[in-house]
Amino acid sequence: MAKLTPDELEKISKSNHEKSSNWIKVGMSTCGIAAGAGEIFDFLLEEVKKRNLQIEVKKCGCQGNCYAEPLVEVSVEGLPAVTYGKVNKEVATKIIEKHVIAKMLVNDYIYDSLT
Amino acid sequence: MYEKTVLIKDTDLRREDKTRQAYTQFLDHLRQNDQHSRIQVVRVADVGLYDKGLVIKVLPDRITYANVQDRDLERIANSLCENKEAIKDLVYKPKVKQEKLALRNCGKIDPENINEYIACGGYLGLKRAIFELGAEKVIEEVKTGAIRGRGGAGYPTWLKWNFACKVSSEQKFVICNADEGDPGAYMDRSILEGDPHSVLEGLIVAAFAVGASRAYFYVRAEYPLAVERIEKAIKAAYDYGLLGKNILGSSFCLDAEIRLGAGAFVCGEETALISSIEGRRGTPHPRPPYPSIKGLWGKPTVINNVETLANIPQLISKGGKWFAQIGTETSKGTKVFAVTGKVKNSGLVEIAMGATLREIVVDLCGGTLSGGPIKAIQTGGPSGGVIPQELLDTPVDYENLQKLGSIMGSGGMIVMDEDDCMVDIPKFYLGFCVDESCGKCAPCRIGGFQMLNYLKKITEGRGELNDLIHLKRISYAMQKASLCGLGQTASNPVLSTLKYFENEYIEHIVNKRCPAGKCNHLITYKVIEDKCKRCGLCSTNCPVNAISGDKEKGYSIIQEKCIKCGRCFEVCKFKAIYKK
Repeated sequence: MAKLTPDELEKISKSNHEKSSNWIKVGMSTCGIAAGAGEIFDFLLEEVKKRNLQIEVKKCGCQGNCYAEPLVEVSVEGLPAVTYGKVNKEVATKIIEKHVIAKMLVNDYIYDSLT
Repeated sequence: MYEKTVLIKDTDLRREDKTRQAYTQFLDHLRQNDQHSRIQVVRVADVGLYDKGLVIKVLPDRITYANVQDRDLERIANSLCENKEAIKDLVYKPKVKQEKLALRNCGKIDPENINEYIACGGYLGLKRAIFELGAEKVIEEVKTGAIRGRGGAGYPTWLKWNFACKVSSEQKFVICNADEGDPGAYMDRSILEGDPHSVLEGLIVAAFAVGASRAYFYVRAEYPLAVERIEKAIKAAYDYGLLGKNILGSSFCLDAEIRLGAGAFVCGEETALISSIEGRRGTPHPRPPYPSIKGLWGKPTVINNVETLANIPQLISKGGKWFAQIGTETSKGTKVFAVTGKVKNSGLVEIAMGATLREIVVDLCGGTLSGGPIKAIQTGGPSGGVIPQELLDTPVDYENLQKLGSIMGSGGMIVMDEDDCMVDIPKFYLGFCVDESCGKCAPCRIGGFQMLNYLKKITEGRGELNDLIHLKRISYAMQKASLCGLGQTASNPVLSTLKYFENEYIEHIVNKRCPAGKCNHLITYKVIEDKCKRCGLCSTNCPVNAISGDKEKGYSIIQEKCIKCGRCFEVCKFKAIYKK
């Protein structure tokens, strides 16, 4: 890979700012993985592929709410980005079917901290 | 498409959960006004407020209503339906808010993708340091920001850098201390796993400021994922020319590599850490000379904690003045705490210095697991002390915690309730320090062992009042004479519990009773005959067959055989086992 110059650094810094608003982030730090995030990540990836959905499934670090791992943050155009906690396969299916496809937030699993 | 989203949750713990009821009511109001296709209502699991009655939050405006009564539900629904402004007299303004500096990207970006980090303003601090500020002004900026070491002692970071900068030497080193070993503390791990580039950038800036040509990450081998992510971060940084020769086209060169620690607690102490990197046994050395003057391989070395370094990139890119606005007079910036123990929401909390312990544990983490009162909070791990509940309103900064006989430490915070014994807790921490003592100096090696013996004696019911005097004397000797921080602070848990909970020690010694019911030797289990339903569950579960009887005659515990494991107490469904 080419070495960056200060201007190129600035360019990356600006260009990526307009990020897509369609993504699913799974907290994949040790706390998340211990709670089963790895399985959820693979499951979500597979479901998205199987159903041919235009949404990116990404890994991220721990948000801090370790008591509610595995945490899955979902952003879909037209809906506020929310974080689901204690996600198992059942909840993950609901997230795909209700939140991503039907564009409605899923009841009872949102963890909304004040920040 | 919905215009607005309403989050709804009943946070009152003392009554039945009314979330569903309120949800239906609210939805009915919306339906009556034919607005349910414009506004969506969602029941949530956690709304970020605790014990504040029914909470309603409106997105995207982020208006929060707390303690909402039934009659107010309609008012709120109507104001939404008619697109009116927020109802001022019902709006709840939270007292405390998390402020994320060190954790700014954790949970937001892919830690393995350098572009995402750069897109969040990453490496702009480094760019400013190299092309705008130059080494001296970087240190000046850090001095203005007045950031202090987040590893425990709170030593001003700029001073360390300044010392190392002023020494002339053909080679200098910078080290990131990621040897996090306090029981219950894991913020460094989380930062390294969630945002390794911020720490790496901080380390590169530090190297630039002091003129170092080599950087080390000293990480515990127990953190394999953190190690993996740092490795990837270092590689990506080399690929982009942010490490290696002529960084960003300047004349500044730096190489970075990882050194694994074998998990010895004492290796978090800087002189022991240096020995460990040099390939020698991890034991501390007397200071001075301080590592900033004579450190790794006799060269000037700056050692900074993970969290300190994670703060540096922003401090440089946004300026020291910006950083110094946050926090208290003497402690600037924020601190990440790992709140664990008997707390409802265990996890990481980052908050501006000066927040009170109560705000952290009760307002942000929801109080105790059982909903009962907090007995004490332990801060600072094995080097810290306990803070009793009557002092929970103390604002947290380095000085205040020290005054109370504890320390900030790396930021572990363990919440304790009435079931925690204040003789057993220091025994645990002291046991940890005795195990982890390197054995080099006598005060720590012998003092710790003797103190542990006294504590064992007391918890086994053989204690004498004189033991308390001995405990104090040994504590002071260890504080004065130990070689490194481990020994100097190992007695803190004992001294602070003696200070605030002396009664509990005396209860153990004089009345041979453990008020919290933790110390095995001082408790007895009995079957309460009135409550016993003669199901026999205790008898079948007893591992030593110490419960005799049958379903006809009832059961009783043979005290001579009982090993006080508490199994019967746990399995009894009728609370018919008595523990005292």
